[in-house]
Amino acid sequence: MPQPVVELDDLHVSLGRREILHGISGRLGVSGSGRAIGLLGPNGAGKSTLIRTLLGFHTPSSGRARVLGFDCHQNRRRVLERIGYMPETDSFVASMTGVEFLRVMGSLSGLPEEIALEKAHETLFHVGLGEARYRTLGTYSLGMRQMARLAQAIVHGPELVILDEPTNGLDPAARRRMLELIRQMKDDHGMSVIVCSHLLADVEQVCDEVLILKDGRMIHHADLEAERRENRRFVELEVEGDSTAFAAALEAAGAVCVAESPGRFRIVLPPDFEMVRLWKLAADHGLSVRRLTQRRDTLEEIFMKAMGLLRQTPGEAASSQEAPAYGGL
Amino acid sequence: MAVYKRGYQRYEGPRAPHLERLLVLPRQAWRRLSAQRIVTALLALSCIWPLLCALFIYIANHTELWGGLDGDFSKMLAIDSAFMLTFMKVQSVFSVLLAALAGPGLISPDLGNQGLALYFSRPISRLEYVLAKMAALVWLLSLVTWVPGIVLLLMQAAMADASWALANWRLGAGLVLGFWLWVALVALVALASSAWVRWRLIAGAVVLGFFFVLSGVGVLVNAIFRVEWGDLINPLRAAYGVWCALMGAEMPAGLSLATALASLALMGALLSLALERRLRPVEVVR
Repeated sequence: MPQPVVELDDLHVSLGRREILHGISGRLGVSGSGRAIGLLGPNGAGKSTLIRTLLGFHTPSSGRARVLGFDCHQNRRRVLERIGYMPETDSFVASMTGVEFLRVMGSLSGLPEEIALEKAHETLFHVGLGEARYRTLGTYSLGMRQMARLAQAIVHGPELVILDEPTNGLDPAARRRMLELIRQMKDDHGMSVIVCSHLLADVEQVCDEVLILKDGRMIHHADLEAERRENRRFVELEVEGDSTAFAAALEAAGAVCVAESPGRFRIVLPPDFEMVRLWKLAADHGLSVRRLTQRRDTLEEIFMKAMGLLRQTPGEAASSQEAPAYGGL
Repeated sequence: MAVYKRGYQRYEGPRAPHLERLLVLPRQAWRRLSAQRIVTALLALSCIWPLLCALFIYIANHTELWGGLDGDFSKMLAIDSAFMLTFMKVQSVFSVLLAALAGPGLISPDLGNQGLALYFSRPISRLEYVLAKMAALVWLLSLVTWVPGIVLLLMQAAMADASWALANWRLGAGLVLGFWLWVALVALVALASSAWVRWRLIAGAVVLGFFFVLSGVGVLVNAIFRVEWGDLINPLRAAYGVWCALMGAEMPAGLSLATALASLALMGALLSLALERRLRPVEVVR
């Protein structure tokens, strides 16, 4: 059985008298597979507490958390040797130069001295701070400091990188660069990544699975890759003309249609249904296609549904027994 | 290949041993301390008194230089516990001044921009972090306390006959133990001050205040209320009392060894608690 990156077993964490995490259980990611896990939830959901517990900053009041097979509390040192952490807050040592900062952080994580210096330079070039590496961190802009924080998280080549709000406060170009670096971490270097973010678009772009927390409880755990495969079968279509026969033909071809209004459909296509066939069917029935959209915002719907703000996703509505078929809405 | 052409490669080679990793912090702190001219200048200044003491020992051991003088003069030139205690008193003042200069830059830069989370997300505990930071200061303070003290004693042992070393071994043990205790206290005060006070100048003043103002307050308390528990908050007197006991010299009037040790233990505990409260990876709002 493949080893999960994070394994939570009825994890309870209290800060003072207040319980923040109420018994979270689950297995996230697969060690060594280079997958990214998104951690989502509204403010106060317990995301940061969960991350800090994985880092050994908080002690579980009961239950346990394991990272890469090691208990976060009992084997804290072994866990931290394998982790790189980029905190949400602006953390740096202002008086150090970029190279000095990364050299110290790399050495503390176990890089031999001479390798630490080499890796410090290498990593700073990698994140785009090569030209600024001899400047003190106090003179860096917010975006540069963000990149320096990412650099210190990966300088020692960890197996797991935990990124807390990595794109906070970045301009669009820097945000794209950050997301590209995260993608490279998992795809090119085989690191597992945990991304904690409020920005669903960022999580959807880089993550392969997602864990949604609410009020200290895990309310949803989804495999985004599987969801994406499902998405490719979900189509929103708007046509002009009499579409009754068209809808019947689609149903006959194995698709499930929900008409939102005359000429507007939500369609779940069968697995082997090619898109070109849809265009052909529309042409055969003399319809002009005004809009055809393949769904892209699934994570938002998963999130809204998990939060209780949406009863079911449109895809589920279309395939549901109770949902009226063509012409019912 | 040039680094900028090579691109990032994940390191998967052997890791350094744990102790070697910890030494990174004192090494880095030491590099920063030695780059400060004022610290170097004070370090040089603090060598003057040991040099004078060395001259004194030389004169004391060369009777031909003062052979014509009377017997009271030879008593004055004796290398005994009184001589070593005077040496220790002067050097302890220099050690406090050095700690006030060097100590504030050790922890506050890490705390100032929430850098502690970066340290503690690595395989290093809070205790190890404190000990590593302390090591840089202990090394610096050792250069002006027990190291020159031992050099003086070795010099005296070499110049005097063998019976002197046998009769006065307690001076060496007392000097080393007494200074270790003192250095630990000074380093704790400097680190606690650096952890709680962001501005270096004020943090330095707090270090000086702890030793000199607090001692003054202790004396005032004893004098005004006609009590003795003012000694509990007098670090200079408590340390001096312990040094006297270790060297077999007469204790200061009104101070017992138990009171002196209790005072130092209390201060050490409070300072450790202050550090423990402050050095956390994240602030938790309960």
